[in-house]
Amino acid sequence: MRIEKCYFCSAPVYPGHGMAFVRNDCKVFQFCRSKCHKSFKKKRNPRKTRWTKSFRKASGKELTVDNSLEFEKRRNIPVKYNRELWSKTVVAMKKVEAIKQKRQARFIMNRLKKCKELEKAADISEIKKNIHLIKAPHAGQTKQLEDKMVQKLAEDVEMVE
Amino acid sequence: MGKSKQVGNHKNGSKKNIAKQWKTKRRTKDLDQIHVDMIPVNSVKLLKQEVDFDVTGCAQNYCLHCARHFINLKTLKEHFKTKDHKKRLRLLREEPYTHAEAERAAGMGSYIPHKTKEVHTQEVEENMD
Repeated sequence: MRIEKCYFCSAPVYPGHGMAFVRNDCKVFQFCRSKCHKSFKKKRNPRKTRWTKSFRKASGKELTVDNSLEFEKRRNIPVKYNRELWSKTVVAMKKVEAIKQKRQARFIMNRLKKCKELEKAADISEIKKNIHLIKAPHAGQTKQLEDKMVQKLAEDVEMVE
Repeated sequence: MGKSKQVGNHKNGSKKNIAKQWKTKRRTKDLDQIHVDMIPVNSVKLLKQEVDFDVTGCAQNYCLHCARHFINLKTLKEHFKTKDHKKRLRLLREEPYTHAEAERAAGMGSYIPHKTKEVHTQEVEENMD
């Protein structure tokens, strides 16, 4: 018994669930549900389908390269039962999972930080472009002119004196 | 994803029977199978097949990338100019998706991004008379 991974969405396929398609060249494709099987039949590309794990990894939405991801592997070597080893493995699994969760969460938070910067830059550029909506282009110019006139008059008066 | 790729539903007879096309009975070659075909050792065999009267054009005009036989050289050349063929070349640029990649995406090992490689239409012999 083995928990397979879905070919399309990479979800776990437990025994008795989903289906396997065997192509006429003996290649086996495991599917977790009919949705994934149907998409496969439609020849959709899992890398381009937004809801699959491979899309999320291929487009940098999730943590891709990390040591915490190296523990879960398909091991084809049978291990003889050993109580001590078993209990140690269970403890280790929990620890690895906790670390993995933490790192993945941190990766996503860091990824989202970039959006804040971009948003700010976009806001600034928008305001720069549409400044005329906030402040009329000729606002306060009449007063400036008036001030200039007054100054000139005062200078003239000084000159005459 | 976004917008549906299906454009128009009236002119093309095959589009009316989409469910039929997805049947295992009518399965066409998958992209990863074509990638295997594109390996020079295999492609030589496919491009120079023996005369087979059961196959379209006696299996003499084969498009490697679309995995299709054509009746003669002229139609094959016409096919190279079509949208379908160009689209297929574009799709074949990417490395094929495998079950191993699905497993890596699921967290069994680090995920290695796929590579792309330019694909060109097969060359056709000109001196056919």
